[in-house]
Amino acid sequence: MNITQDRMKIIEIMARLSIDRASRALSKILRTGAMITLSKVYITDLSETTEKMNNDLREMTGVMVDFKGNIGFKLLFMLPVNGSFILTDLFLRQPAGTTKEYSEFTESVIQELGNILASHISNAMVSDFDATLVPEPPHVHSDYAGVMFANLVMEQGMMDDKLLLMETKFEICKNELECYLFFSAGDDVLCKAIR
Amino acid sequence: MVIKRLLTQHGYLIAGEAGNGREAFEKYKELRPDAVTMDIIMPEVDGIQGLKDILAFDKQAKVIMISAIDQRDSLTDAIRNGASDYVVKPFEDDRMISTLKNIFDEDQKDAVGSGP
Repeated sequence: MNITQDRMKIIEIMARLSIDRASRALSKILRTGAMITLSKVYITDLSETTEKMNNDLREMTGVMVDFKGNIGFKLLFMLPVNGSFILTDLFLRQPAGTTKEYSEFTESVIQELGNILASHISNAMVSDFDATLVPEPPHVHSDYAGVMFANLVMEQGMMDDKLLLMETKFEICKNELECYLFFSAGDDVLCKAIR
Repeated sequence: MVIKRLLTQHGYLIAGEAGNGREAFEKYKELRPDAVTMDIIMPEVDGIQGLKDILAFDKQAKVIMISAIDQRDSLTDAIRNGASDYVVKPFEDDRMISTLKNIFDEDQKDAVGSGP
């Protein structure tokens, strides 16, 4: 993977603008202040990153989304299982603490949040950068953080031992929620969009 | 799920639910609802195909596409294929309810217009 500093900067701006849109959508749907910020964009070695993440043994709920279009990448949104209960209550506009265990409602909410985040990210890419990008149906998973991350990078990394990775942080007003949103892209796929 | 709750709260009866475009078509044939709300992104058979199938079966069907995809191509694709309206998620409750009222009002106007 050969990305110049200038291109990396452009990718970072694309990611930030997309995430801003997703952040506004999340605030609106949860009816509370929600902010997603871009922590870092970097090119990483596939095996090193996977090894690091494999040590994370927290049980997570997450949703993986593939995109189809002229820039192929994947998105993984995941959070600890307890956090998914808080999101379920916020999403369904029910009192905090109503959801006490993982159910079809939790799965449906996480799936819908993944769908909305992915759609708004692709909307930004399409309108601001002339990309052609539509998300595929989201897939919900529950597993250890390391396993979910490995699934994300392994599929993308099949073609390349280097990986373009973007990490984000979530702050959801009145609820300290630890959520993770990762994008991964192999080869120079994002560069196609900025030629 | 949110739409189901919202519509129920406003007095609408939910005839059925489907997980993809094929199921939506099958349910439509079975239940013949007054209106359908359908997402575009669905597994196996997407919402646009579901919309086409429903309208091929019943050209009077009222189908509202509800999607987080806010892109010109998706919107024009839905409208050209006969969607009654298109609502972008996340939406305000009022927007969803007024969209439904509008399509039923249009239907009544058409009925009056085509009467003896």
